[in-house]
Amino acid sequence: MSTSTEKLRKATLKVTPSSRKTAGSTSGLLRVNTRSAAASHSRKSFSLAGDSRLLEKGPAPVTGRGAQVFDESGNDVTPRPLCHPDPATMQPRQTKIFAAQDASGASVSDFLSTTFQTTNTSFAGPFTRSVLESSAMSRSSQSTMESLNDEIEDSSAKCSISVSLSDLQVKKEEGKEVMREDMLDDVVERYLTETGTFWLLDMPAVSVSVDAAEAESVKERNRAYIDLCKNRMGNDKYVERGMQTFNGALKTKELQSEAVSLADAAVMATTWDMYDTYSSDGGVGEATESADQSTSPDIILSQSRESSKTPDRTMSVLSSTSMASSLSSQKETAALFTLSEDKASPQLLLQSEKFQQDLCVMERVVLQNIFQARLAAYRRLPVLKDPDTLHKPSETLGAEMGAVPPAPALELLWSFSCELTVGQSVSSMAWNKKNPDLLAVGYGQFDLKNQKPGLICCWSLKNPMWPERIFPCQSGVTALDFSASHPGQLAAGMNDGSIAAFSVQSRERTAVLESSECPHKHSGPVWQVKWTDQDSGPWGEDKGETLVSVSADGRISRWILRKGLHCMDLLKLKRIGSKAVRKQGGEKTRRSEAYISRQTAGLCFDFHPRDPNIYLVGTEEGHIHKCSCSNNEQYLETYTSHKGPVYKVTWSPSCPDVFLSCSSDWTIRLWRQDLLTPVLVFTSLHRAVFDVSWSLRWATVFVAVNEDRLEIWDLGANILDPTIVSSTRPGVKLTSLLSATQTDCVLLGDSNGHVGVCQLNDLGAGDSQVNWKHTHNGRQVNSNSTSHCFACI
Amino acid sequence: MAEVEETLKRIQTQKGVQGIIIVTAEGIPIRSTLDNASTVQYAGLIQQLVMKARVTVREMDPQNDLTFLRIRSKKNEIMIAPDKDYFLIIL
Repeated sequence: MSTSTEKLRKATLKVTPSSRKTAGSTSGLLRVNTRSAAASHSRKSFSLAGDSRLLEKGPAPVTGRGAQVFDESGNDVTPRPLCHPDPATMQPRQTKIFAAQDASGASVSDFLSTTFQTTNTSFAGPFTRSVLESSAMSRSSQSTMESLNDEIEDSSAKCSISVSLSDLQVKKEEGKEVMREDMLDDVVERYLTETGTFWLLDMPAVSVSVDAAEAESVKERNRAYIDLCKNRMGNDKYVERGMQTFNGALKTKELQSEAVSLADAAVMATTWDMYDTYSSDGGVGEATESADQSTSPDIILSQSRESSKTPDRTMSVLSSTSMASSLSSQKETAALFTLSEDKASPQLLLQSEKFQQDLCVMERVVLQNIFQARLAAYRRLPVLKDPDTLHKPSETLGAEMGAVPPAPALELLWSFSCELTVGQSVSSMAWNKKNPDLLAVGYGQFDLKNQKPGLICCWSLKNPMWPERIFPCQSGVTALDFSASHPGQLAAGMNDGSIAAFSVQSRERTAVLESSECPHKHSGPVWQVKWTDQDSGPWGEDKGETLVSVSADGRISRWILRKGLHCMDLLKLKRIGSKAVRKQGGEKTRRSEAYISRQTAGLCFDFHPRDPNIYLVGTEEGHIHKCSCSNNEQYLETYTSHKGPVYKVTWSPSCPDVFLSCSSDWTIRLWRQDLLTPVLVFTSLHRAVFDVSWSLRWATVFVAVNEDRLEIWDLGANILDPTIVSSTRPGVKLTSLLSATQTDCVLLGDSNGHVGVCQLNDLGAGDSQVNWKHTHNGRQVNSNSTSHCFACI
Repeated sequence: MAEVEETLKRIQTQKGVQGIIIVTAEGIPIRSTLDNASTVQYAGLIQQLVMKARVTVREMDPQNDLTFLRIRSKKNEIMIAPDKDYFLIIL
């Protein structure tokens, strides 16, 4: 483009003088050109470029007028002008141009040719000099200003040839170096160059198209090669020859490294294993332990070696196991740590809690094996016969029990005894209120002559061979009772008058509470203790259970267990004369006829099952008093019949108005609450009746204990004689009695320390309905065993 | 400790008990009333059995664990109380 423009410009510069002469516009144009060129000469290429543009513009429409374009061969290819503008119109263009480029030339353009002249003349002077100079310059220099020089030459040439105007113009044109405007039209050369080509990828084609120019040569070469290959075989030019390469000398070299030891490790991922790991704290140790146990026995063996106590052995073991992989050795060390922490010695093991528990369970299991038949009979469960065992005496027992004769029989199932209790006399027994398998037995002497330290044993049915708890006491135990609200509390009354409370839950052998420091403690043996549930005491106490005791010093007192035992007297038992004269006002100091003390010993008492405020007291005199808790001065009623001390008073559990009493006058009397004389009197032997107890299962059955006999009375069957009589061994006295709940067994305590469990078989009392009448004082008494009530009209 | 000894003695003197073996979890007998050979034999065999039983129980319910194992045979009965650290075996 540049070259074309160059050419164009050159062509335009070759404007013949004739063209200049002919049109003033062209000269004007020329002037424009030169002026513009001159004006821009001093400037940079920017303006010159602008001039070149203008120059392009300029000559394009104008070249047709005066400028003649000659091509290379000199033909006149001047394009015809498209239009013929007036010089007047040209001037504003000039003015515009000048205004754009140079302000100094603006004034020149406003004028006509005369102005042109004037300007020319004004410019001429310097132009001529400059032209001369430039011409000189042009010849000498061969710079990029060639076009300018050409212009100048041409312009100078034109100036010389042309008329005065043109001369002037040419001169002005020649002086363009000085004048900026004239320089504006100079053609500036621009050289564009290219850098060399950087080949990035050259993939010469392997194949050549058949139509390509080189196809022939390629084909020739291919053919030559094929011929060459053919000629190669037998050609002398090509000879096969062998060559030998040198092989390096071999050298053996030995190297020693540590042996890579391998060990198999396997782990079982079981659900419980994962559970263990998540739940336990020492999960790592345990998991590894369990994993180890499940893996090869080698590890178990090594662990067993590690668990030995001597350290040198463990060292050797560690060294022997160092051959194993690191993983298993880590496991073992972890296991070793846990092992040494937990169970380094078997002694610790044996003493652990868990072991003791296990032992306990195991013992019970063993005993259960032995006693299974009897325990099942006790619990009224069917006796399981072992099909595989040989004929054993226990089976015969079972056979006997299976084919029981219809006659009622008493059967000794087993007896609680151990070497501790041998020689002690059973004084009292009590069932645990909450756990019907637990029995507390108190051992103590009845007679006051030889006092031995007493004992309380808590037996469990599951272990008849050894008591669960043993509490040694200072003096003989005379009374026992379990608390109902706190089933672990056992209250015991002693021979020396103190009352102690034990906690059965702990394994301690000492009492929780003792009344020895209490100032009001009993001075005589406590014959009976009982936990009662008082609704509201008259002293404004809270509801709860309190302990009531009766003792030989004639006091019935209530004990409160609060920071030790504090007692409050419920009642003082006063002596009353045998003449049924009651003496009011029981001051101790007042002496009456022949009475040593105004108080009589209370031997037993029993609270009414329905009304906890009413209770019965049996005294040494033989009187039975009905008292109330709210009244601690007077008796409500007195039942006088017995001739000797009343050993036991019990309300009937099935009939609310009836109670039994037994005394040492060989009699058992059946009373009704509102009758002051006994309804029935039972006597069988001339022996003191120590204990009597209603059967809890049959309403008309009660059990009585003589000195040497156990009697079972069934009122429904026979009121004159006991239904079942069972004698004990000679020399052994039966001392206490307890009936069991939920079962038809009776517990017998004897003077040898044995508590025998006897089962009442087939009393048949509950089946029959017997109506019997007893006339007493004209009243009819009906008894219906099934309805469990004695009714009086 | 004395209580434990007493209890053990009592169990031993019960009718029908042939012997007592207490083994650690690794199979070392701590205490035994039988001769050594049968003790070791019992210990080894029972350990495997207990492991199997325990796995059976725990696989069904991971929170469950074996507390007591009783094997009745024609001639006698073996009772095992397993624990994490030991086995108590009574024949």
